[in-house]
Amino acid sequence: MMRGRVDNLDLPLLGLDPQHFYAMLTAHPFVMIYGFAYMSVMGAFYFLVPYVLGRDIYSKKAANASFLLMIVGVMTVWTTTFVSHYAPLYTLYWPLPVAVATVGWNPVSILPFGVGMILIFAAVLAFFFNMFATIFLPLRPKDSTQPKPAFVAKELMVTAFNVDKLRAKIRGVPDYASKVFTFPVFVVGVFRGCVDTTINAVIMGGVGVLLSLYGLSYLIPSMALSPTLIDPLWYKNVFWWGLDMIADGNVLMFTAATWYLIVPILLNRKLYGENIVRSVILADLLVSMGVWGHHMMADTPQPPGLLIEGQIVTWGELVTMGLTIFAVLMTLWLARPVKYTAPLKYVLVSIMGYGIGGTAGVIQANYAVNRYFHNTQWIVGIHAHVQLLIGLGLTIFAAIYALFPMLTDKQLSERLADVQLILWTVGALVMGLGMGLAGVAGMLRRMLYVNGLGPFQPYMNTALVGAVILASGYAVFLVNIIRTVGFKTILSIFYAPHKPSMTVQAVTERSIV
Amino acid sequence: MQYVFEIFYLALIAVIISFTIFFYIFSRKAPKKHADLKEEPTETDAPHGMHRNERNWLYFLLAVVLLGNLVTLSPLIPSANYGLWTQSAPVMTITIQVENYHFIMPQQPIIIPVGKVVEFVVVSNDVTYGFGVFRKDGTMVFQMQVVPEPYQNTLKWVFDQPGFYDVRSTEYSGPQNPLMYVPNAIQVEG
Repeated sequence: MMRGRVDNLDLPLLGLDPQHFYAMLTAHPFVMIYGFAYMSVMGAFYFLVPYVLGRDIYSKKAANASFLLMIVGVMTVWTTTFVSHYAPLYTLYWPLPVAVATVGWNPVSILPFGVGMILIFAAVLAFFFNMFATIFLPLRPKDSTQPKPAFVAKELMVTAFNVDKLRAKIRGVPDYASKVFTFPVFVVGVFRGCVDTTINAVIMGGVGVLLSLYGLSYLIPSMALSPTLIDPLWYKNVFWWGLDMIADGNVLMFTAATWYLIVPILLNRKLYGENIVRSVILADLLVSMGVWGHHMMADTPQPPGLLIEGQIVTWGELVTMGLTIFAVLMTLWLARPVKYTAPLKYVLVSIMGYGIGGTAGVIQANYAVNRYFHNTQWIVGIHAHVQLLIGLGLTIFAAIYALFPMLTDKQLSERLADVQLILWTVGALVMGLGMGLAGVAGMLRRMLYVNGLGPFQPYMNTALVGAVILASGYAVFLVNIIRTVGFKTILSIFYAPHKPSMTVQAVTERSIV
Repeated sequence: MQYVFEIFYLALIAVIISFTIFFYIFSRKAPKKHADLKEEPTETDAPHGMHRNERNWLYFLLAVVLLGNLVTLSPLIPSANYGLWTQSAPVMTITIQVENYHFIMPQQPIIIPVGKVVEFVVVSNDVTYGFGVFRKDGTMVFQMQVVPEPYQNTLKWVFDQPGFYDVRSTEYSGPQNPLMYVPNAIQVEG
């Protein structure tokens, strides 16, 4: 028997301790997805859902709680990785996060990381409870006869999955109009997306609980739980089933819902094929329940039936997203001549981002190609980052550019918005393609090439240039915000005495255009 | 094989970017009157159904899904061929243990005949690793995940080029994972 690995390396490389590097890599997706993307989505939907329904948010306390829990949770995760260099990555494959003896983690770091995750997903659940309650409940209950949370859950499941329509069909009720048609299509997108993201929060929060329990047990050596209590393959399946829900709920359905709202409003016309769109959102919800298998293509102990199911269902997203994009583009096309304001430009380019990132995903999310591309830079570069930065990111900016005048009575600079759009898009594309083509050449993700990058160096230099251009695009966005509202106004968010927030009714009278 | 997908993908994104630019340019122009009448769906045009254009687009997407799955599940692609279709028994089985950030190989280099079906069985005693085989220019031949015991991770492969190959862990298994690199771990002869 021969033991093989490289042992003569001069670590730490360039002054960077590998554990420190991986700790940064662990914090990165938590901060970007929950600290940036989720906070933006929560902010936008806390305003937009009540605005569209013409009522106030169900619970302002829950809204504030979700805001604070998210900040504290993200900061706890970030601080734990920064201080202790705890580095299980966001994948958290069992038993890596608790393998203290093998990896050498500081056992004290597991508990705060787990608690941080619990706080993040408590924030997410508080947000969704508030969304569901705002959508499905009458105004805030003041007496004991008001519906209970069970009512909200029942209404949600019935409406999200069109159960009432199914029931009517079984009972032979003619011309039954399902409940989902009583809601604007944007709200349908939100609550169906919230089903996915609630499952995501429950699973990921559950992982946080698991880590906290193990972390706690490690503080008392005689009580230390054995990592073998959890089956690694079952865990991985459940983990990806829950984690991938964020891709469908947050990235795809929330994006679609936002397009469905702002494009018709800005063009002042109906969404093309609105009734079909409701069915497409339902189809996407059903598809999302079975797509996790594409993360397991490289796991040979996985039953072949599940591998093939994961592949076929994942391709189904091409259909649902394709129809979504078609509806938005047709709405634009039929509104010719379109006067493109910043939000519309951002929506159009975000569609392009989904096209580029989504097709990269479909190309590798199958049994055959995954054998060559799994865990390479292709996945994280062209698929994940292009889809998140151009697809989701520009949708978030589109919503900000559309909402900003309504909320502040001030107009952001269109010229700076154009500059940001170009820098952000070019930067993300150059970075994503640089990384992705390095993946084709064999470069792995999550890998610190301790002997140097070798043939991958030119690709990474290109990606670095792209990242700098991208960051300059974000800097232009910050300049645009600061020069429009003033630095003092931004600071006043944090230190000004509490003033009653603007009611939805007060804002409703303003025009979004 | 990877470069075939790269060229296909680059052509695809060139189409997507060009489409976006042309869409932006042409959607800013007023439509010709007769074209507008032809394309605009009316209230009576299947209010609960699909407009003709949308239905055609749906058929196109379904055709792409069908074709894509047929191709990627067929033996046309070597990885699908070896993983899903090859029935022949392997001429040799190579069992590799992985523990504490070391690949424990039966011999080094492992000698493999060119053009024959061989089977890798990789077992981890602690955390999840990856098992990837790479050419000397850095490109990947194949990889698989190494899920820890009680699971065995097995894969059939046929090497079509003689030469030396490197082995790397392709899944993050902790900060020592980058050390799991074994140059010239495999020699394919023939």
